[in-house]
Amino acid sequence: VKAMRDDLHVLTGSYVLDAISDAEREEFERHLQHCPTCETEVRGLRETAARLALACAMTPPARMERRVLAAAHQTRQLPPLSADRPRRALPRHRSLPRARAFPGLLAVLAAAASMVVAVALGITELSAQHQLDRARATSIARVVTASDAHVETAPTSAGGNVTVVTSAALREAVVSSSGMASLPSSRVYQVWVLSPSGARSAGLMHGSSLLAAIRPGDRIGITVEPAGGTARPTTTPVAVLPV
Amino acid sequence: MSRPQIRQAPPEPEAAPPDLAALLSQVARGDHRAFELVYAELSGPVYGVVRQVLRDPAQSEEVAQEVLLEIWRTASRFDPDRGSAAAWALTIAHRRAVDRVRSENACSRREQKAAEPEPAEDDVVETVAATLEYQRVRRCMDGLTGLQRESIKLAYYSGYSYPQVAQLLGVAPGTVKTRIRDGLIRMRDCMEVTW
Repeated sequence: VKAMRDDLHVLTGSYVLDAISDAEREEFERHLQHCPTCETEVRGLRETAARLALACAMTPPARMERRVLAAAHQTRQLPPLSADRPRRALPRHRSLPRARAFPGLLAVLAAAASMVVAVALGITELSAQHQLDRARATSIARVVTASDAHVETAPTSAGGNVTVVTSAALREAVVSSSGMASLPSSRVYQVWVLSPSGARSAGLMHGSSLLAAIRPGDRIGITVEPAGGTARPTTTPVAVLPV
Repeated sequence: MSRPQIRQAPPEPEAAPPDLAALLSQVARGDHRAFELVYAELSGPVYGVVRQVLRDPAQSEEVAQEVLLEIWRTASRFDPDRGSAAAWALTIAHRRAVDRVRSENACSRREQKAAEPEPAEDDVVETVAATLEYQRVRRCMDGLTGLQRESIKLAYYSGYSYPQVAQLLGVAPGTVKTRIRDGLIRMRDCMEVTW
């Protein structure tokens, strides 16, 4: 047993450099919880590894900033871990089979979060609406994290800004707004996909809207309409953005 | 050989860097402004380390984006008592890059990459050459044995597992484990890392 523990202890370095297998990592993290010496060493070596990363900093492409900041607006954050729960030695990063697994992970986390809310409200069963919201959140995450995601932001004549994130490959777009004037209950903001063949309603604006079947050259418009929305835009758009 | 005016540069840059830990706690409360500052601070190191491991610019951009978004999403899980904010973030970044390398048929892709000339190397070096951190790391790396240095570089910068490193260097896996640990401890002491 002693020999095995020594063997595990030597893994501190390989562990912080991610040079071990998933199985070894799990075993080592279990070991860490009972080995304060190892934990202290891991902390120091992890800070050291961070210096290796800082030493190779590179300016990323400028478009990355717009994408990440826009994606943050569309991404729900994890709640803090409750204080009474024993904390893991380290945040756990499960290996992702593919990048596309990330929105899936988001969906799982969103589901977990809505479970927490459901429990808090005394709701024991997830409603159909929750299921829909979950599917929508997954689709939205897929668009905003797409490698070809294109972001457009414009001020609106109703105040605030509208942001459209489009993935040409997915032919989908996500529209969201912030700071727009609130409307009387008899009025709503309605989203339109504007193309040479006319205006197609993309529903009422609430939170983030997911728009499907987007084509290059389409534009996104937002109008103020009577409650419930209309079949065609009846007012001058408060904002029009290219996709 | 040694240039005193460089060696004697103050250990900290003149402009105090923003307190990342404090910013992260604001980010955890949904503060987008704070996240912009976190982005400004961390996007370079995150992208740099991901690019160092993955090499491919498009893939690196995708993974770096995921990492930065994960920082936004999981900011509430950062615990300042357990390490610096930069280490927390860069641990995520390196892990994600390595996950990407080891998933799919990463082997064949890497071999293909290795066969091509690597223009990436130059601009990586060029971008970082001026930074103080690079100088420090470089100097401390020089203090390692050849085997320690190679093991750490292959593991961290190339994303190889220690058995792979062992194979590449023609030594026993156990030797690599030990060299990585000893080398990192030496680096830690040389860079006066305090944790």
